[in-house]
Amino acid sequence: MSAERRVAPDHILAVRLGHGANCSSIGSVVDTLFATAVVGTAVFVALAAALAVEDVRIVGGDPEGAAPAEPEEPTAPPGEGAAP
Amino acid sequence: MIVRYESWGAWVKLESTAALVAVDRDGACALGLDGGAAWSAEAGPSAPIEVHLSVTERCGAGCEGCYIDARPDGREKPRAAILRELDALRDAGVFTVAFGGGEPTTRDDLDVLAGAARERGITPVLTTSGLGLTESRARRLRGFAQVNVSYDGPGAAYASVRGFDGAGAAERAIERLVHAGVRVGVNVVLTRASFDRLGDTLARARSLGACEAQLLRYKPAGRAASLDYLARRLSAEQARGLGPMLRSLGDSFCTDGAFHVRIDCALLPFLSADEALTRDPARLARFGVFGCEAGGALAAIRTDGRVAPCSFAAPTDLPGERLATGHATDPTLDRWRAYVAEPPEPCASCPLRPVCKGGCKVVAGFVDGAHGPDPECPRVLAHRGEPRVTGDA
Repeated sequence: MSAERRVAPDHILAVRLGHGANCSSIGSVVDTLFATAVVGTAVFVALAAALAVEDVRIVGGDPEGAAPAEPEEPTAPPGEGAAP
Repeated sequence: MIVRYESWGAWVKLESTAALVAVDRDGACALGLDGGAAWSAEAGPSAPIEVHLSVTERCGAGCEGCYIDARPDGREKPRAAILRELDALRDAGVFTVAFGGGEPTTRDDLDVLAGAARERGITPVLTTSGLGLTESRARRLRGFAQVNVSYDGPGAAYASVRGFDGAGAAERAIERLVHAGVRVGVNVVLTRASFDRLGDTLARARSLGACEAQLLRYKPAGRAASLDYLARRLSAEQARGLGPMLRSLGDSFCTDGAFHVRIDCALLPFLSADEALTRDPARLARFGVFGCEAGGALAAIRTDGRVAPCSFAAPTDLPGERLATGHATDPTLDRWRAYVAEPPEPCASCPLRPVCKGGCKVVAGFVDGAHGPDPECPRVLAHRGEPRVTGDA
């Protein structure tokens, strides 16, 4: 299962760690910004491993209908405009 | 894991670890996912990933800077209305709901609300002052993934922010929550008086069992929207010193992975003074650092049921119960998003713009009277030829 679903860390655009429990403004973990490159890489490798094994549940609308096999160009590139 | 398709790929909320991951389309395909219509239809604005839900305006603490002007006789939102709003959050694909107030623990149904959020696949978290939190009530908060206690520091540091010494009560609340098995963080409001005591504050919070500190910029909303704001906000020197301060806190408290430091969206502009970070803005984006997401990844629902771009901004006419269908088309939210998409200088050419998104518009509205660049951002101050913010000693 995990072999079939393996994702390379390079395909992880962003990660928001932790739950965050502030009710007034959105927060972001920042101590990882100052960690060494080795630690930073380890975070993404661990996330890629977790992505490969968890069961999937879809939220926020039904994606059925058009289902292109080949990805098209995203209309809102990460870091510009929409998200992440 | 919980997946929400986006035009660029998908947001994936892991359930084995507390993390929300953005993967591109190729990465999503490698996970066996197919965005279908979400990847082929013309992309509209994404739904929020996090919603701040005010469940009451009741609070007896009387904090001088309360951003919603909460009072002991404030109104409480009916549970049925909250449940309908949670339905809307589920339909929109929101991942996290942060319950707040007022003081949410004045309600006796928080455990029910936490359960209702989880039934809908939404992670519930909570913010509280901790005042009057008994052991039995602490145990009833176990349904929340995390509870943050407002804690601006030991003794005088707390009083300098809130106008009374509630530090002891907050510390007891942290201990009771930890003892009850609740994951606890602290919210630390940064003012001119509390900033330089951050090391002591985080040391105390960690010693009490907190696992995280969320640093919050003081904002001119509610009772804080007064001239007093100018004396309480961070000095220009402190704002420029945020980056080095974060490095120092990280070195002191975050080396073993048991404690993390977060900053809120409004603090991002201050990092424009940090040369190392501005040289590598992609690093901030990859570690999911968010600036102003009002009207974007973040939405707030007030006690009266109206949606607002964020908890500090004026509300729209959109009812929270219609968040799923109305978020993408609401004209007020659209105006906030449109500004972020094409900000004026000096934001337009700022390397941090993709993450900062123009700084805090609530501060801009209060200080400048306009929906514009953050007037306390070091880059904006330099652009205007104002090396110091008004109110500096």
